[in-house]
Amino acid sequence: MPPLGMPAKRALPPKESSLFKELLNLYETRQLKKGLKTADQILKKFPEHGETLCMRGLILTHMGKREEGLELVKKGVRLDLTSHICWHVFGLIQKGEKNYEEALKSYTQALKFDKENLNILRDAAHLQTQLRIFDGLVETRHTLLKLRPALRQNWIGLVVAYHLNGNLKEARTVLENYEATLKNVPDYDVEHSETLLYHVRLLEELGEYEEAISFLDSNAKSRAIIDRIAIMEFRARILSKMYSEDAEHTWQALIEQNPDCYDYYRGFLSNRGVDLDAVTDDTRSKALECLREFSTQLPRANAPRRLALNVALGDEFKELAEPYLLSALRKGIPSLFADIKALYSDVGKRQIIEEIVEAERQRSEHPPDASSTEPSTYLWTLYFLAQHYSSLSQHARALSLLDTALMHTPTLPELYMFKARVLKRSGDPFNAARAMDEARLLDLQDRFLNTKCGKYRLRAGLVEEASEIFALFTKKDAASPGADLEDMQSLLFLTEEADAHLRNGNLGLALKRYLAIQKVFSDFEDDQFDFHGYSLRKFTINPYLGLIQWEDRLRSHRTYVHSAIIASQILVRLHDDPSLATASTATANLTDAEKKAKKKAKKAAQKVQEESKKAAGSTANEDKGLEPGPAKDDDPDGIKLLQAPEPLERAAKMLQPLRTLAADNIDAWIAIYDVSIRRKKYVQAVKALAAARALQPGHPELHVRLIHCKSTVSSLPEPLAAPAGPVVIATITKLVPDEQSLELFNSQYLQQHSGNARATLAASKASRQLQASLEEVENTLFTALNPDVELDIKTAVDVLALLKEIQSSRAEEFRAACDAKFELATIFRPANELPALRRIALEADLTSVDAEKQEVLS
Amino acid sequence: MSSTSTPRVSFASLTPNNLGTVRKLNSVLFPIKYSEKFYADVLLPEAEDFCKLVYYNDVPVGTICCRWETVNGETRLYLMTMGVLAPYRSRGVGSKALQHVLGAAMSHAKPKISAIYLHVQISNEAAKKFYERHGFREVAVHKDYYKKIVPHDAWVLEKRLDGVEASA
Repeated sequence: MPPLGMPAKRALPPKESSLFKELLNLYETRQLKKGLKTADQILKKFPEHGETLCMRGLILTHMGKREEGLELVKKGVRLDLTSHICWHVFGLIQKGEKNYEEALKSYTQALKFDKENLNILRDAAHLQTQLRIFDGLVETRHTLLKLRPALRQNWIGLVVAYHLNGNLKEARTVLENYEATLKNVPDYDVEHSETLLYHVRLLEELGEYEEAISFLDSNAKSRAIIDRIAIMEFRARILSKMYSEDAEHTWQALIEQNPDCYDYYRGFLSNRGVDLDAVTDDTRSKALECLREFSTQLPRANAPRRLALNVALGDEFKELAEPYLLSALRKGIPSLFADIKALYSDVGKRQIIEEIVEAERQRSEHPPDASSTEPSTYLWTLYFLAQHYSSLSQHARALSLLDTALMHTPTLPELYMFKARVLKRSGDPFNAARAMDEARLLDLQDRFLNTKCGKYRLRAGLVEEASEIFALFTKKDAASPGADLEDMQSLLFLTEEADAHLRNGNLGLALKRYLAIQKVFSDFEDDQFDFHGYSLRKFTINPYLGLIQWEDRLRSHRTYVHSAIIASQILVRLHDDPSLATASTATANLTDAEKKAKKKAKKAAQKVQEESKKAAGSTANEDKGLEPGPAKDDDPDGIKLLQAPEPLERAAKMLQPLRTLAADNIDAWIAIYDVSIRRKKYVQAVKALAAARALQPGHPELHVRLIHCKSTVSSLPEPLAAPAGPVVIATITKLVPDEQSLELFNSQYLQQHSGNARATLAASKASRQLQASLEEVENTLFTALNPDVELDIKTAVDVLALLKEIQSSRAEEFRAACDAKFELATIFRPANELPALRRIALEADLTSVDAEKQEVLS
Repeated sequence: MSSTSTPRVSFASLTPNNLGTVRKLNSVLFPIKYSEKFYADVLLPEAEDFCKLVYYNDVPVGTICCRWETVNGETRLYLMTMGVLAPYRSRGVGSKALQHVLGAAMSHAKPKISAIYLHVQISNEAAKKFYERHGFREVAVHKDYYKKIVPHDAWVLEKRLDGVEASA
């Protein structure tokens, strides 16, 4: 007879029943092979035993046989739908695949049949946190606490659950109850200290400042809270919020502790009624007085001196800036310009800085006697001035200063690096790459120089040659340098290479890299999972809550935003012209170097694949066996990505987070429009345009979309049905006046923004949409060359691209005009010069510096 | 503050990684092209104490490179190159570099270094004076030492480290 309540098909005779228990044990201790044998023994007699099938599937998954394992588990679940073991196993596997939603469903099923299973409850809580299902989380944590009130982390788990769910009061109650249960806490207990600090924060967030301070003070005094810096920081912050006089003293102590922490000065001054980030004429003198005092008190601190430069104006600024700049030039601080650049938003300050440093150049160029100035000061002064003039777009002047500096001291990598940057800014990526390589050759072990050199090669379109440079610092056994850098989640590399592929017209690889970036962010998101358990066990509650907040805003990172916008643009192009998916596969376009590299990469990839297979066999006994191994790259060129169905749906998905996390980014809204209008989501589309217009009404790309939107909607075969239709029409009417023709709307825009090359480009795109003649579009585009129009290199490149796209016969004419207009630029050189330019980029070489010398000595 | 502090002169050993800086310096300091053998020799482990990059306020401004020469059981150091970028001269950089190498040579025990010598083009009075200030003596004139640059002749300057007086 089966035990009471157990379905007959689950019940096993005593022998098999004990075998099953052994099987569970073997799995727990990861004796997988023995487990498998045991499972087979049971299945020989009871091939339909669901729980055993599931366990067998689980073990197989651990041993790397994922598909077979999953099949078995599914079968097992079907055969025994009311077993908590079956559902638990299913949930474990789904969790391993990071399919958290499905996993939680399975866990919920499992809990139906075993309400008090601690393991399942704990896992479910982690899943609920990961999925931000906080109501459910509170419930689960409650259950756990009821079942095991002696376990400290169960209390904290419930507190955190309430906190995350926004119920701070309840969190406080539970926390206080928890603290009341504690007995004999050892001295200097870090975990207890962290918990108490969290308690202070909770009181602070509840606005109970008095209580927070007295709680903090008494626990600091009794040494229950042991983090001295945290005590001071909490204290200063909360006292400031209370407008207490004691706050100043605490901020002062913090500043003495670490005199280069800007936040402490901010706190000190805000306590005196000065908002350091928004100084007014009323608060200026007060702020300066304080900062001057700190500068005297703390002669070695940079922060008060630098902050004073933000605040001071006019003569006072000059008086403070001069010693600041001169001392840094004498010390030879390479980052001086980067430090000072933010002040340039104030033109007056910029001019004063220029005067000071120019005067120093005069002095140090012709010192009255040799001992009065250091030659290195002159060098750093030239370096600073080059950066200064380049930031004002005076690139030729910057280059001549750098040449003087290089004559003076040809061994300083910074000079070559900045020369590279100036050349890049002036539209010469090839000589820029070369200059960066020259810097690198001076110090081959400098990874920063190495990275920069690789990046500059990418900017010059030399993707494979960049990879050779990256290879100098990547793992030798990786499939390729790129694969290693992707493994290390180098967003810089992925972004630069994606952009380079895009510029080279290789849509497949570009898309592949942008998606790799997005994968990195998904990994970041998955990575928090382990902390749901770990942080509670370690009682590091404050940092944990910070992590959760950070994860919630993860995709506001500019690299994600960039990748989502650009990838969505590629997908939109694929939607508009599906032939791109096959056209861009062009292996024929590859240079020899690229072909060679491809072969090499393929071989290496195979090797890695084989090795990881071997590795999978040997690590099967480790704890974490449920995550799928590295997938084989069966799409090395991204062609499958290009050909995958529903490009717009994919684009919409990657843009989704930007609606909230990049709501102040106009490019994001324009990308959202481009995708929505093509998906026929008209309400979304017009709302995106409205959001964009609220940010910047005259934005050129927005203008193009306004016209696109209106003409698309008005040419629909049938008017849009309610409720969407009227909303769409009403919104468009607000954005584009009804009484005007679109042609007139466009020409008015052009008039209003004459002088702006971007606007000219936008108006041309719009008139093309409005079926204007090729000649008319060309004529408008060529006005970008008018002397009264401010045309920058980037816009010129885009204009040229558009001319080529509309197959204008005047594209060559425009190119030649740009070549003449931008003297330093090489990107407008005729196409037949490109191979020579690419060679220039690659031929930096210090072994031949002496080639022309005749005297040879060994 | 630091405007009154004395400039820092420091030294770094040569490695394959900073050899580019040495090449760069040699290219502007000397009218001579050095062979790949030169660059291989300066990286030899036994040369480490006698081949240095010289930094002035952390900027590489000079080099000093010697090699071993053992003849009939007597080991001497030959000073192949030593130079400082023009803007950084007359600041004691060269003297410090030379003293650094002389110190290393004198404290070298196995084998004992008996002397250090070098060639100076006979037009370069300033260089000769510099070495004489550091205890070098002219011991010979090497006729047609240079093949292409004029004048062709070079002085041979030597400093004994073993107390034995040089015989001119």
